[in-house]
Amino acid sequence: MSNVTTASSEAKWWGGGKSPFDVEYGKVMMWYFLMSDAFTFGAFLISYGTVRFSTNGWPDPNKVFKSFPFAPEGVNAPLVFVSIMTFILIVSSVTMVLAVHAGKMMDKKGVVRNMIWTIIGGIAFLSCQAWEWNHLHHEGAWWGVNPFMNADGTASSTNFTNFFFTITGFHGFHVFSGVVINIIMLIMTLMNKFEERGHYLMIEKAGLYWHFVDLVWVFVFTCFYLL
Amino acid sequence: MSNHDTHSAEHHHDAIAEIKKVTIILSVLTIIELILGFWMIGMESQGLRLAVKGAIVILMMAKAFYIVAYFMHLKHEVKNLIMTIVVPLALFIWFIAAFLSDGNSFRNLRNTYDPHFKEQSTIKVQEKHEGGSEKHEEKSHEEK
Amino acid sequence: MSHEATLHGHELHEHHDTFLTKYVFSQDHKMIAKQFLITGMVWAVLGGLMSVLFRLQLGYPDASFPWLESILGKWAKGGQITPEAYYALVTTHGTVLVFFVLTAGLSGTFANFLIPLQVGARDMASPFMNMLSYWFFLAASVVMLSSMFVETGPFSGGWTAYPPLSALGDASPGSKTGMDLWIIAMALFVVSSLLGGLNYIATILNMRTKGMSMTRLPLTIWALFFTAVLGVLSFPVLLSGLILLIFDRNFGTSFYLSDIFVNGVGALSNEGGSAILYQHLFWFLGHPEVYIILLPAMGMVSEIMSINSRKPIFGYMAMLGSLFAIAALAFLVWAHHMFVTGLNPFLGSIFVLLTLLIAVPSAIKVFNWLTTLWRGNIRFTPAMLFAIGFVSLFISGGLTGIWLGNAALDIHLHDTYFVIAHFHIVMGVASMFGMFAGVYHWFPKMYGRYLNNSLGYIHFWVTMAGAYLIFWPMHYEGLAGMPRRYFDFSIWESFKQFAELNRFISTVSMIVFAVQILFLINFFYSIFKGRKVTTTNPWEANTLEWTTPINPGHGNWPGEIPEVHRWAYDYGKDGKDFIPQDVPVGADESSH
Repeated sequence: MSNVTTASSEAKWWGGGKSPFDVEYGKVMMWYFLMSDAFTFGAFLISYGTVRFSTNGWPDPNKVFKSFPFAPEGVNAPLVFVSIMTFILIVSSVTMVLAVHAGKMMDKKGVVRNMIWTIIGGIAFLSCQAWEWNHLHHEGAWWGVNPFMNADGTASSTNFTNFFFTITGFHGFHVFSGVVINIIMLIMTLMNKFEERGHYLMIEKAGLYWHFVDLVWVFVFTCFYLL
Repeated sequence: MSNHDTHSAEHHHDAIAEIKKVTIILSVLTIIELILGFWMIGMESQGLRLAVKGAIVILMMAKAFYIVAYFMHLKHEVKNLIMTIVVPLALFIWFIAAFLSDGNSFRNLRNTYDPHFKEQSTIKVQEKHEGGSEKHEEKSHEEK
Repeated sequence: MSHEATLHGHELHEHHDTFLTKYVFSQDHKMIAKQFLITGMVWAVLGGLMSVLFRLQLGYPDASFPWLESILGKWAKGGQITPEAYYALVTTHGTVLVFFVLTAGLSGTFANFLIPLQVGARDMASPFMNMLSYWFFLAASVVMLSSMFVETGPFSGGWTAYPPLSALGDASPGSKTGMDLWIIAMALFVVSSLLGGLNYIATILNMRTKGMSMTRLPLTIWALFFTAVLGVLSFPVLLSGLILLIFDRNFGTSFYLSDIFVNGVGALSNEGGSAILYQHLFWFLGHPEVYIILLPAMGMVSEIMSINSRKPIFGYMAMLGSLFAIAALAFLVWAHHMFVTGLNPFLGSIFVLLTLLIAVPSAIKVFNWLTTLWRGNIRFTPAMLFAIGFVSLFISGGLTGIWLGNAALDIHLHDTYFVIAHFHIVMGVASMFGMFAGVYHWFPKMYGRYLNNSLGYIHFWVTMAGAYLIFWPMHYEGLAGMPRRYFDFSIWESFKQFAELNRFISTVSMIVFAVQILFLINFFYSIFKGRKVTTTNPWEANTLEWTTPINPGHGNWPGEIPEVHRWAYDYGKDGKDFIPQDVPVGADESSH
């Protein structure tokens, strides 16, 4: 049904008969889907900012996120665990680039190896998040419950935990679906689907999604743990 | 990998070198962010805090740029595609500016005209939260 | 919702169609367009019927209609609509007309139908996603419809669903299950519009036939393109807003709630939220949504006007530029809906400035339409009449928009019938006219038959006169301060003067509704029994859809897709009445 790719290459970018972006339609869709998703996350984070701006006090993240797995009771190690999570996601993003690159080289082994690493990274990140949620829940934090006080010692509204769980939850949901997509891609690679098609474009699109998830984490990490 | 000519092999090396470079840049930026974050702990001066937060936001934007430009390959796409992605993202400028400034204005309004709100946000809570996790675990469960 | 007897004379590519794959789970963009159109029409009838019901209450607040009770049961005790039912009716009327009819029904229908045909593609970029888009829309429709049959009734806090009415389940009867279903329906709707929008964008960018450069695209396609971009970028913000709303409703959060005192209960436990936040999020979608509704109508009107004036559209590039300007401004002006909500007044003044800027591209478009008509060889087909009617309504409604865009005036006029009149004329009825124009114009392409012209003329003139008779008086009511969404005005001394007028408006609205039924009869009769189209290009138009067979099959062109050599508006050029886009440029003519 496609009439795109056959046109002569000397036609102008926008002249019709070929893609003005030199990419197939699926990638255009993926980019625009990510734009759309960027507005979803943007709306969440901007709402968080708006509520924070309209509130007098806010908890100090360093007093909230200060533990890590297997840590002794009452440990005070802010930023340690979340930096591990951040590096896990960055590394999994790097392995994803390598997988995409291997796909361009038609290097099936490279794709499989790097996809496996990416999936492991994604699962590791999700496990970290699960631990952190569980830990915070044990401290009494949940939607509608905020045991932490503001940095200036006043009582805090529940919106700190509300936004934290909603936004990291929504991000975690994206990571989860990214892992599922990556697993599907891995299986398709192992079944030689892409070798038969002659290209690994699906890996590239999955890669775009995975990097977007990483990108969102850059913002979530900064907004919740640093600022 | 068998039948690639030297040109694509060269391209391959360039690409791998670029990935390595960007990985290092992202790690360094994250480490700087974390150092700034540690520095902020216990920082008294509000002005300095704000400046550090500004620096962190700039670093965040730089990280976002490297991820989008190199990992998502946008920098190597056709200019048209770059423009169709970047131009709509410019909407975020007004999106953020308007929302946050109105949030700020809403706080000022409430502090001026809403005594209940003002009162709520000046109540000090006990130091018992400092003690560790077990205590307010009990407390919050009681609340529930 | 089925339309079995659509005449697909030639099946070009798929010979093994069963009923199910051809009409129900079709992946042919033309069939999906018809599914959108007919679902949209069902909703339009329901939404219109709701408006007739609440107009009945507003026109005859003291009268009792026993037949109402037999239809609505407890919602019309003693033959009079209850206040709860009234609020549910206005809310559902708004939601349904804005989202289900004028978004899905309008751009869903015509984007699906026209984009592949006019850019020269065999189908959408992803026919499967296209089908999903319809099915998500249908699912949203079913959920929304089912909300009308729950015990406590559908949501009744206005189509904007502001908290706390939407966030607190106990706030009103409709805030219970009705609101949950409303949110689910809207979330499904967002998914549908996202799937559709991505497809439209990718198709317009990537699937154009050879020679179809962006500046040779018909204005319809440009308008649908900007519509899709608006939808893809603004609907997710509503989705975020609704997700936060769900948490507020069900998980004890207070994103939108704080400092609420209830008589006899005291302060609610919610702290720290901001109801204004929801309004910002809603209108960040809500304002682009207005243009999502309006732009497709503008595009189709441009096209139909040029064809039926036998003249090139005046100022093609200016039309493009103004479309782009409107689309960009659409994202910058949302808070002009919120001048009286406690918005920062300085911020408000910036929004006033940005809002008034919209007048510039809008005026450019209006002048270009008028100059296109100027000294044209006009053919007054029903489609053309509706297109001209669109321009008339767009001017009348747009001018009051300049009033409302001023914060100082808006403080007086906000939430009065003036606003009702403004947005119904400029957005509601005008886009409806665009939709009618599109249906009359492209009906021959959709079904291979013509709609009845005489019925079309009756439909147009009654609707046109009715639209003004209904909404023009509302300006006066609004200036006098009559607030919208009120159940009964008869107890206010100051509004007694309008009792007569309200009755008049209600009567006209029923007549106009009856004429829409006439249109429906015309529509369904003509599908089966209408005059058959005998030529591939009945309107003598230039665009590519008229180079397909009379009843194009899946794949649109039986042979090669035609190559494009010129823009879509070569009317009256070099002494020729029209030169279709696929005609090569002659040696002696200047190319476009």
